Amino acid sequence: MRDGKVAIIFKRLVPNCIMKAKNERRKQYIGSQIDDCKDLSGIFYLLPFQKGYLVNWDVQRQVWEHTFGKDVMNLEPEDTNAIIAEPYFDFSSIQEAMNEIYFEEYNFKAILRTNAGTLSAFKNRQEEPNQLCCLLVDCGYSFTHIAPYYNGKKVGSAIRRVNIGGKVLTNHLKEIISYRQLHVMDETYVMNQVKEDVCYVSLDFFGDMKIAKLKGQENTIVRDYILPDFSHSKRGYLKQDDTKLKPHEQTVRMNNERFAVPEILFHPSDIGIQEMGVSEAIVHVINNCPTDMRPHLFKNILLTGGNAMFPGFKERVESDVRSMAPALYDVRVTKPVNPITHAWEGGKLLSTSKNFSSLMVTRDEYNEHGHSICWEKFDV
Amino acid sequence: MAVVQEQTKRESGRIKDVNQKRVLDSYTRAKRLRKQLEALEQDNFQEDPQANLVIPNKRLPQFDSNEGSNPAKKKKKTRGDHFKQRFRKTFNMLVEEEQLSMQEPPNYLTACIPPSKTPDRKFCAVCGFPSNYTCVSCGARYCCVKCLGTHQDTRCLKWTV
Repeated sequence: MRDGKVAIIFKRLVPNCIMKAKNERRKQYIGSQIDDCKDLSGIFYLLPFQKGYLVNWDVQRQVWEHTFGKDVMNLEPEDTNAIIAEPYFDFSSIQEAMNEIYFEEYNFKAILRTNAGTLSAFKNRQEEPNQLCCLLVDCGYSFTHIAPYYNGKKVGSAIRRVNIGGKVLTNHLKEIISYRQLHVMDETYVMNQVKEDVCYVSLDFFGDMKIAKLKGQENTIVRDYILPDFSHSKRGYLKQDDTKLKPHEQTVRMNNERFAVPEILFHPSDIGIQEMGVSEAIVHVINNCPTDMRPHLFKNILLTGGNAMFPGFKERVESDVRSMAPALYDVRVTKPVNPITHAWEGGKLLSTSKNFSSLMVTRDEYNEHGHSICWEKFDV
Repeated sequence: MAVVQEQTKRESGRIKDVNQKRVLDSYTRAKRLRKQLEALEQDNFQEDPQANLVIPNKRLPQFDSNEGSNPAKKKKKTRGDHFKQRFRKTFNMLVEEEQLSMQEPPNYLTACIPPSKTPDRKFCAVCGFPSNYTCVSCGARYCCVKCLGTHQDTRCLKWTV
């Protein structure tokens, strides 16, 4: 975020949802207010997004008002330029509503609407100016997009979407744990943490399956995870081998679930979704690009989005793509230090670049030309 | 003559059992799968804990302080009925709109990745390990007799999801 005169840089991640706790009869937690919540069991979510697209504006507005308000950022929208990241192929009615709300309701000074991937690709281009192309993989909450970029511009016709994201993984984990061990269907928050803490992407899937079948010491995969009870502990953690369980502690045993859940990213057909997995999709997308671009795309694959945080994700993509790519092409996969905020960093960088102001639409321009200028300038 | 002979023939109990078993047709199986996949997109599985609670003032007190002056009034104006209707579109309505608007590709619908070229892998519906067998009644996979038993006792034909 950039202020008219002074550039203030502070990074805040705010959950984009409203949450309700089981034991709080009246209070709703908007965005980062959830930090004040002591009992996170059975959190009920109101999400503004469905399948990756903004549909619940009432919720979204409350989150925005909270975020822009003095609780979080304390903005003066009239003096603020905003960069808004939208998903690829955002529906036109959503795009227009976005313009309306940001200009007419919040009165922002100027906005730039773009794709998160474009910001990431911009950062990648700044850091590695000699790379002509970038294949951006944005593996997020609702879906995964694979978008080729050429000279910092996206190749729209080749962008493809795999309908697998973190949400499906968490829900699937909840489903199988509830069926096999313990009813956790209501514990989205806790099970998401379990997923983040113990799941990993296997580099040898069927080999790991064999290990997971073994008993006792030989099984190096199985882990016991102690669930939080929100009176003794606020967060779950891995049980150490030699410790004894205290009477109040409850565990789930994670065995093949540890790697079979993230495996869905690479084989959606494992749960009956007839789509290519991430690695196969990467190769498919590259092969749909002009021949001259392909070697450049293979050697600059950039992984962003929360699922890139799974241990082994990068290595798996690397080895899968390597095995499917023509032998004479180099394959290089990069995972940024923080794949989640990479797009934000890109936006930060963009806001300090020379031609930033030419990319934006100001409030005056919007008042003069309406939506047409936004359609002209923004490439979402 | 031949028919009579067949009826009097001794049969094994297991085969008799098989004949009595209900077998789900492909339509029901596909419906089940679709419901399972829909469940994976669900936000919550529990009831809204505040479902029957009427919140008198939807806004939390924190907001009142910084919105007491002009901006609040402005916002109220735009919050008319037209606003609400235009913004109350479900995801399916949006996709339908996209279909009808005949936007030239690329768009949301053309961006979907095609099915994989490799065949599906099979995993036991009970324990998650690779499986070699298919349940005759419902088509679920299982890996051993023990898992088949669990499957028949818990899901198979009983599962209504």
